[in-house]
Amino acid sequence: MDVLQSVVQYVLDMGASVFVPIIMLMIALMARMNFKEALSASITFGVAFAGINLVVGFMLDTISPAAQSFTELTGISLTAVDGGWTTAASITWAWPLAFLAFPIQIGINALMLIFKMTKTLNVDMWNVWGKIFTAVLVTYISDSVILGFVVIAIQTVIELKAGDIWAREVEDLTGIPGVTVPHHMTLIGTLLYPIDKVLDKIPFMNKKADAEALKERLGVFAENHVMGAIIGLLLGFAGGYGIQGSLILAIQAGTALTLFPMVSKLFMQGLAPISDAISELMRKKYGGQELYIGLDWPILAGKNELWVTAIILIPIELLFAIILPGNIVLPFAGIVNLSIVVAVLLLSRGNLIRMIFYGIITTPVFFYIATYFAPHITRLATETGTVNVAPGTMLAWSTMENGEFRFAFANAMAGEWWGIILAILWIAVFIWFYIGRKKDNAAYFQEKAN
Amino acid sequence: MKKVIVACGSGVATSQTVASKVAKLLKEKNVKAEVEAIDIKSLDRFIKTCDVYVALTNPQKDYGVPVVQGIPFLTGMGMEQELEKLINALK
Repeated sequence: MDVLQSVVQYVLDMGASVFVPIIMLMIALMARMNFKEALSASITFGVAFAGINLVVGFMLDTISPAAQSFTELTGISLTAVDGGWTTAASITWAWPLAFLAFPIQIGINALMLIFKMTKTLNVDMWNVWGKIFTAVLVTYISDSVILGFVVIAIQTVIELKAGDIWAREVEDLTGIPGVTVPHHMTLIGTLLYPIDKVLDKIPFMNKKADAEALKERLGVFAENHVMGAIIGLLLGFAGGYGIQGSLILAIQAGTALTLFPMVSKLFMQGLAPISDAISELMRKKYGGQELYIGLDWPILAGKNELWVTAIILIPIELLFAIILPGNIVLPFAGIVNLSIVVAVLLLSRGNLIRMIFYGIITTPVFFYIATYFAPHITRLATETGTVNVAPGTMLAWSTMENGEFRFAFANAMAGEWWGIILAILWIAVFIWFYIGRKKDNAAYFQEKAN
Repeated sequence: MKKVIVACGSGVATSQTVASKVAKLLKEKNVKAEVEAIDIKSLDRFIKTCDVYVALTNPQKDYGVPVVQGIPFLTGMGMEQELEKLINALK
């Protein structure tokens, strides 16, 4: 353990933007990638770290003072700034043991396929970061790296099982057979399953609503620069900045939200050659049997219900952020709550009214989970040296995916009795969902086919 | 230079995966084109300046540019046909 720790420390001292590219170059060369390509990919990854440092720094410099001024005016303390999933992913890749999650996901998936415990072959290598992030949070809370990796293994199994169940629904929603979304962001949908069974009995909750017309009208607000500008303007007014100051903040906030995805995609550019090689290898090896290929959620991004729900939730989130007692998170870069909309799109089979209902009732849960994890996200940002967070402020993610699972399992691993109970409950509800939904699917698609 | 766009939910991960793959395949076939990953929420803006749209979803509108299916580049199934369609559209 001592050796591991000193190695980790040495590595940390170099900083993520140097250290991670070196690891990537080593992995790429071991996988016999062409040197030029490997070098370019690794440097791109380093550039992404330096880039995200700039953008998150810019966001904190502009948003934090407005949030502090808002606190002074109103007494409502929202000191943790929401960097969204892009920030969370970036600082997660900087964790020294990050790349160990790849063999865990790939190994468990291979074993489960061999023993016919799943039909899902997950080739989505980007979202390995979600598992790494789980490991980081569990490690911080339980003080054990090993337990962090144990929870990664549990999460991988659950994701694949969920992928098996969602496959039929994904085909129905997208028209593409043989693919699924084994993404842990959908797991909150499994926890809402008991509620969904109740909603089945309420006529209003079974009505169809026209999402397309709404999407045409609301669509412009979902564009990053427009949404950022509106939030910035509101925050400026709330912070007592006056018209001039608020307009300046509006453009700055629009800038931050525009630059986030631009910089984040550099991570994927750097990861692409490795991820491509891995998924090709896995397909070649296991592609013979009848499988669902596991892909990232955007194969569902064509569904208007998704965007309409996410946009309707934005003002609700802003309101909750202010009125929820104990909340410290100021929603910003993570305000488009992808972590709920994808899950409930699948759960409700695209029923817009139910999706909005679930979005509203879970918003407080998201805020309390975000508040709980804010110090840990800040610690990761600071320890890896990826982002400088000024004392007195914190970095958060207002709409963290799979937060309930992480909260329960991290505290269970820390030995908290209530954590253990929550983790057992979590698994019990998942099993309920898994068995129940399987039956529902059989009946539902039988009826649909007739 | 001809421009290809790939759109996904945030213009970060899936679209960039497909964009990198498409760029690599085009380079191998000596077809010169710029491939960019974009955010589907801004599709209406970007589609005006592109030559081919690689879609990860089933587009409901007619955008007036050739559309190529993007999922085959992720699953490997039917990828050759879509690549050929893309190359023909870029000629």
